[in-house]
Order: sequence, then C-alpha cells, then structure tokens
Amino acid sequence: MVILEVRKVVKSFGGLRALQDVDLSVAKGEIRAVIGPNGAGKSTLFNVMTGLLAPDTGNVVFDGEPITGLPPHRIIRKGIGRSFQITNIFPRMSVFENVQAALFSHHGTSRNPLSLARGFTRIGEEVLGILEQVGLAEKYDLSASVLSHGDQKRLEIAISLASRPKLLMLDEPTAGMSRFESRETVALLQKISREQGLTLIFTEHDMDIVFAISEKIMVLQQGAVIADGTPAEIKANPEVRKAYLGEEVTEK
Amino acid sequence: MDLSFLTVQVLSALRQAAFLFLISSGLTLIFGVLNILNFAHGALYMLGAYFMYWITLYIVGTGGFLLALVLAPLGVALIAAVIETGLLRRIYMQEEIYQLLLTYALVLIIDDLAKIVFGPEFKSIPKPDVLSGSVTLFGGTVPVYTLLVVILAPAVALLLWYLLHRTKTGKVVRATSSDREMADALGINMSALFTLVFAFGAILAGLGGALAGPARTVFPGVGTEVIIESFVVVVIGGLGNLWGALIGSILIGSLETVGIIVFPEFEMSLIYLLMVAVLVVRPWGLFGRPLKVKALSEKNLAMEAQEISPVHFSVHPAVRWAPLLLLLLVPLVTGRFYQYLLSQIFIASLMAVAFNLLLGTTGLLSFGQAAFFGVGAYTVGLLATKAGFGTLPALFLSPVTAAAAAAVIGFFCVRLSGVHFAMLTLAFGQLIFTVAYKWYGFTGGDNGIQGIPVKPISIGGLAGIDIGSNQAMYYFVLLVVGLSVGLIRRIRSSPFGATLKAIRENGQRASYLGVNVKLYQWTVFVIAGAFTGLAGGLYALMEKAISPEIIHWTKSAEPVFMTIIGGIYTFVGPAVGAVVYIVLNSYLVAWTEKWALVLGLVLLTLVLLLPGGVVGFVNEKARQILGKSGCIRRWSFSKSAK
Ligand SMILES: Nc1ncnc2c1ncn2[C@@H]1O[C@H](COP(=O)(O)OP(=O)(O)OP(=O)(O)O)[C@@H](O)[C@H]1O
Ligand SMILES: [Mg+2]
Repeated sequence: MVILEVRKVVKSFGGLRALQDVDLSVAKGEIRAVIGPNGAGKSTLFNVMTGLLAPDTGNVVFDGEPITGLPPHRIIRKGIGRSFQITNIFPRMSVFENVQAALFSHHGTSRNPLSLARGFTRIGEEVLGILEQVGLAEKYDLSASVLSHGDQKRLEIAISLASRPKLLMLDEPTAGMSRFESRETVALLQKISREQGLTLIFTEHDMDIVFAISEKIMVLQQGAVIADGTPAEIKANPEVRKAYLGEEVTEK
Repeated sequence: MDLSFLTVQVLSALRQAAFLFLISSGLTLIFGVLNILNFAHGALYMLGAYFMYWITLYIVGTGGFLLALVLAPLGVALIAAVIETGLLRRIYMQEEIYQLLLTYALVLIIDDLAKIVFGPEFKSIPKPDVLSGSVTLFGGTVPVYTLLVVILAPAVALLLWYLLHRTKTGKVVRATSSDREMADALGINMSALFTLVFAFGAILAGLGGALAGPARTVFPGVGTEVIIESFVVVVIGGLGNLWGALIGSILIGSLETVGIIVFPEFEMSLIYLLMVAVLVVRPWGLFGRPLKVKALSEKNLAMEAQEISPVHFSVHPAVRWAPLLLLLLVPLVTGRFYQYLLSQIFIASLMAVAFNLLLGTTGLLSFGQAAFFGVGAYTVGLLATKAGFGTLPALFLSPVTAAAAAAVIGFFCVRLSGVHFAMLTLAFGQLIFTVAYKWYGFTGGDNGIQGIPVKPISIGGLAGIDIGSNQAMYYFVLLVVGLSVGLIRRIRSSPFGATLKAIRENGQRASYLGVNVKLYQWTVFVIAGAFTGLAGGLYALMEKAISPEIIHWTKSAEPVFMTIIGGIYTFVGPAVGAVVYIVLNSYLVAWTEKWALVLGLVLLTLVLLLPGGVVGFVNEKARQILGKSGCIRRWSFSKSAK
C-alpha cells in the first residue's frame, strides 16, 4: 500500500530549478533513502513534502489525501513527522519540555488556555518513555542548548516521534555525529520502523548507512530523479555510478 | 483650485517630506546595517537642532548659518560615535528588545540632559536675512527657507546614492545590509563599519534637526514626536531600504499636507491609517523583505537558567500566601496615600504581567498595549457616564471590548514578527489614540471623561457594597487583580502556556509539532488584550477620570520597562518591576524633575549589567547557592512522574 505519493513536482528559486518533475512513491512501512550530491534538491523535496514550500506545479498525496500547499501544522497533524538537516529544537527548554511540548500538541491538550496541568503526570510518563527510546532519559532535566550535537539530533528525533507519525522524514539524521553515535541512531530508527510499522524517508551522505538500511533508494541530481530502485539496482545503475557514486561504490 | 494655492501646498508637502527623509534615511540606514531600530534617532535630531541653536548664537552668529549647518550634524555624529562604541556595541548579541530598550533609555537621558543644558522652554533659531524672506512663485508666496530645504534634501539624497553606489565603503554597506552573514564571511571589519554607519546616520538626523530647527522650534522631547513619524516612514517604505524611506517621506509629507486641508481633525489618524493599510497589504513595507530570523546567541541561552530555576525549588505555600496576607492588612495601618499608591501598583502589575504573556512567554514585543488599556478604561468611562451602567457590568465589559479590539488588531499583527510586529502594534495603538484624542463627540477628545461615577456594587439581591472610599477601592482592586494574575499564572503553566514558550523558542519547530503558530499567537494576544483592558477599567474606576494620554504610545512603553526591570523570563518579574517603577516615579517626581533621567539610567544599567532583571538575578543567585549546597538537583515533576 502506498502511503506517500509525489507526482511531477517542480520547484524553482528564481532561475534555479531545484526540483524538476520529481516523482516518488513510498510504500507503508518502507525505509526509503533519498540521496544525491550537495545541492541536489533533497532538502527542498522534504520542504515541499512537509508544506514549508509550495511546489510550483505537481502534487503530494499522503495516505490517500492531497496535502499539496497545506501549511506544515496541518500536514503534521495528518501523521507526518520531520527532523531537519540543521538541528531544530527548542534551545532554552529542558530536554523533557521539548518532548512534552510535542505531546501536548499531539494530544490536543494545548488548545485550551485554561486546562490545568493535571494531564501532566500521564504525559510525563509518556515523555520519559520516548526519551528512553532514544537514550536521553538520563538527561531529561538538562537544557536542550547544552546537549552535545549528537544528543540534540537525537532529541529532535524524539520530538518528531512524539506526535506518533505514520511517516517520518529525517533530513540527514546522523550529520555531525560520531561513527558510534550514527550506528546507534541508525539501529534505533530501524528498530522503530520495524516495531511500529513506521515509514521512514531519510537523506544521508554516508553510503554505508544508506545501503545498510534502506529498502529502496532514490537518487536526485540537480533537481531531477536519475534513478529509483532497490539498493542492488542503484549499485548497478551506470548513470548513478557515473554521476554520483563513482569510486565510492567501486571501492568495495 | 488655482495655481498659486497648489504651488504653496506642493512646496509645503515637499518641505515636510524633505525633513522626514533626512531623519528616516539615517534611521533606515542604521537598521539595514546594524539591525537596530534606533529610538534615539529622534533625540539625535533634537541635538542637531540644539547644536544649531547654540552654534549660531554663540560661535558663528547668524552670518555663519551655513557653516553651523555643517558643524551641528558633525557634533551629533561625535556623540553618536561615543554612544555606539561605549554602549550599543556591548549588546549586539542580545535580543532585539534590549537594543530597543537601550536606545529608548538614551532618549530619556538625552531629553533630560537637554532640559538641564538648554532649559525647558521652546527655542527658536534665528535665520539670516537672506533666508528669512519669501519669493513669489506662480502667484504663491513661498518662504526662501522652504526652497533651501526642498533643494538641499534631494541633494543629500543624491550624495547618499553616490556614496552608496560609487564608493568602496558604500558598497560594503550595501552588501552588509542585504546579507549580514555573507559580509561576515568576507571578513569585513564589522565594528568599524557599525560605528561609521551609526555616526553617519546620526549626521543625517542632526542635519534634519539643524535644518528643521529654524523652521519649526526646538524643545526637550521634540524628538519623541519626530521619531514616531520617521518610524511610520521607514516601516511603510520597508525597514532598511533607502528607496523606501524616500517614497515613504513623500507619501507621508503629502498626506500630512492634504490631511490638514481636508480632514483637519483626523490628520494624524490618516498617517497611522496609511501605515496600517500598507502593512496589511505588504507586511514588510513597500520595498522591504522579510527579515531573517536571528539565531539565539550564547548570552541569551545563558538566561535560560532564570526561567528553569523556579521549577527547581517549589516555594512553600506559606511563603507564597504571606505577601497576600500582608497586603490585606496594609490598609488597616496606612493612610490614603499608600492605599492609592498600592492600588496603582496593582493595576500596573496586571498590565505588566499580561504584557509579559506576550513578550516573555511568547516572544512577541507589543508596543501598543496602551490601546487596550485605553479601550478598557473608556469602556468603563463611557458606559458609566453615558449609559448609566453599574460598576460591575461596566467593569465586566472592559475586558470584552478590549479583547474585541485585540482580536481585530491581532489578526493583522500576528502575520508579522520581531520589530515589524512591534511597529504594527504601535501604529494601531496610535490610531486609537489619535481617534480618542480628537473625537470630541464620543470620547470627549483631549478633555477625556471626568466624574466617572462609582456606584455601589450589588451582587444578586445583596445590599449595595460601596467601593467609593479609598480603602474599599483598594480591596476591590486587590481582589480583581489578584484573581486575574492567578488566572494568568494558570494560563502560563498550562499546556497552552508551554506551547507558547515553544513558539517563542522556535516558531518553525513548533509548527512542526502540529501547532498552528499564528492561531496561538493571536489567542494569546487577545488574552493579554483582555487583561490589559480590565486593568484599564479598574484604572477608570479608581481615578474617576480618564484622558487620552493613557493611550499614547509612551504609555505602551511602561509595561516594557516594568518587565525588563523585574525580569522578562520570570512570572513575578513584571509585577516586581511595576513596584519599582511606580515607587520610583511617585517619589522621584516629588523630589526631582529629572525623573526621566533617573529612569533612563536605571534602564541603561539593567540592560547592560542585569538583562535578566531583578527577579532573574535573584533566581540565578539562589539557584547557584542552593545548587552548590546540594539542595536541588532534579526537577519537581519527577516526583509526580515517577
Ligand atoms: N530558499 C531557497 N532560496 C533559494 N535557493 C534555494 C533555497 N533553498 C534551496 N535553494 C537552492 O536549491 C538547491 C537545492 O538545495 P537543497 O538544500 O534542497 O539541496 P540538498 O540536496 O539538500 O543539499 P545538501 O546535501 O547540501 O543538504 C541548491 O542550489 C540551493 O542553493
Ligand atoms: Mg539538504
């Protein structure tokens, strides 16, 4: 079953065609990588899919519903989570509060200005549960701004997970992490995807990771899709080898 | 309409536009490069006029008029350079509010210093004979001085264009104002550039003052009128855009001239109406672009300690209720003066605490809170005097009308952020002010409303309770403010409040939690407006007389001061700030005329040394001491969560 469908999306910035007729179809529960050299348009694609940018033409369908041009908050409510390439958290709030805010929004408790802090206990447990999942439970009372870069990335994943998305988009989830941290994070993502049937779309520059966990890979170059298929197909694709992977794959 | 009339009017509009352009071009240039909206720009204008006065009178004489026209702006530039290197430079890394406030503190200080040095009276600057006469142009009589101004300003504009486009430094300035990071990356010497641009902007302001002084008059505080007008100009044109300042000046200059002829009553309202209309259609002004959201700097991150700290030590209930008990006892042992003073403090606290729901909690700097205060006060005043409403029904409606006003104003304002948000709230506030000031038939105009009756309160058949006496009024105000502040506290600690905080920290991320950021901002704007309106209603009941001054934008600055004095990231901070502000005010005004100077110095000191405010400072120290002694480690929620 297809959960996300991107059809013929075009996005230009002035004269620059950042996305040209991009098609993408992701099945439920799939782990999908979007790769491509710097400036290929990966983040732009994520921005279009999550409503930060409206596409010039083309559309995006999530779970059978068109979501093209909706603002991010409406898209998130439909069951999409996202983390950003440049860490995007609430710096002057504690780790706990970061995730708590996400849960308040998810449960709809935050809409009533007069609601008492009563539901906090239940939500508090839920927060700790999520923090445990990403390995930040011990640091719950630290200010998010003092966390290491890797921990901040993990916190952002925790925030995104808190709204119980059906589809999670991660823009370079391991950027700037140590090798050990990256492995851990990747293992975590794989586990969550398996256990909860969560669909993952991620971008990544580390090809080891990409080929280790993705079920399908899409390759973008200068805004255009040059290949889309299983890791084996991508490895074998001559255009990809020439244009992008080059010696990285032949080395192996 | 004949040609002579037209000539005179066109030239008068151009003259006005010329003055506006000189001032606002400097303002917008400074904003473009330094990213600071310089409140003190009006004060620099005033200094230009005073220097002109002083130089022509004592040094060069009227014969050296043109020489003085060069010297006065240079004097202003010198002072500006000192301000930039000595003060402004130290807070570039701080949030916008501190920069605004520092320049505001400078206004207070410079105004009072001018009063000390030059005296409080209006000064007129003599012109040389050549410039005093008038000539006939197309049948109309035009002062020679007007011609000078109308020719000089475009010459300055041309010179500016030349400097910016044809010199190396000018190119650097333009590059910096269009892309700060890029300029940084290119290794441009920022601090020298900042000083240069600030001083250069000051030259333009000084020239504006030196040139306008002989045409108008100069007096301490004249800058306050000028600065608001130039804010309107630069915001309409687009902050940081020189072309915008030029077009804005011509627009406003013409509108003022036409307004005086067509709508003499509501000339000022027209200007704010134009500003509102432009910002509604083009939120970033005619030529402006959306500003990049600034990343939080290290220093700001440090202030987080102050907000987190209250969670670490939950205050014992006895400690929390003790002050209230004390306040209940106060009227029994004190006289009318203290009862009145404290009632004033309560009302100011409510306004400040409600304001901080916007600034500290949500990160929205509203500069138009006085409008809601005024709407609430006029609601009570008008209903009680004209419609025979009882005290409670009238007071009950004050937050309702204020909320309605906030709903409309907020709808437009929340589309903007940062300084633009502040400026639009300011424009709406001034719009309401000018209407209340001139609409004699409804609001009583500048006479306001006197003799507001305070009828005895009767609740459900209960005999009337008279709150007319000072003591009864004290308890009444305490009750209403106490309940309101309690309610605000609850709102702030609710999940809704936590979400507001998330919006303040990172609006984009908040929207990626599924939060409709604009809707939340609008909601909190309405809530804050309602409480501010209630404070206004109480004020009307307590004072029994109101005047439009309570809506003026300088009144909107008061909750800002109180919040910064007390502590922006604390709940009680604004209330503590209200105590400090009102007490300082009542005692200093009785004791010295230099109240503004003292306030300015206090604000300056706080901004530079204690940006977290008094309560923030205490919290931080308490946390350090308690933290070292091992009393606190974990947050209090862990008890409930585990
Ligand atoms: N808001 C924007 N305005 C103008 N150009 C943009 C904008 N966002 C992206 N671009 C341009 O679009 C192109 C694609 O950028 P994008 O960030 O999507 O690439 P990417 O594949 O994510 O690269 P990276 O691997 O470096 O993250 C780049 O040339 C970039 O400069
Ligand atoms: Mg990217």
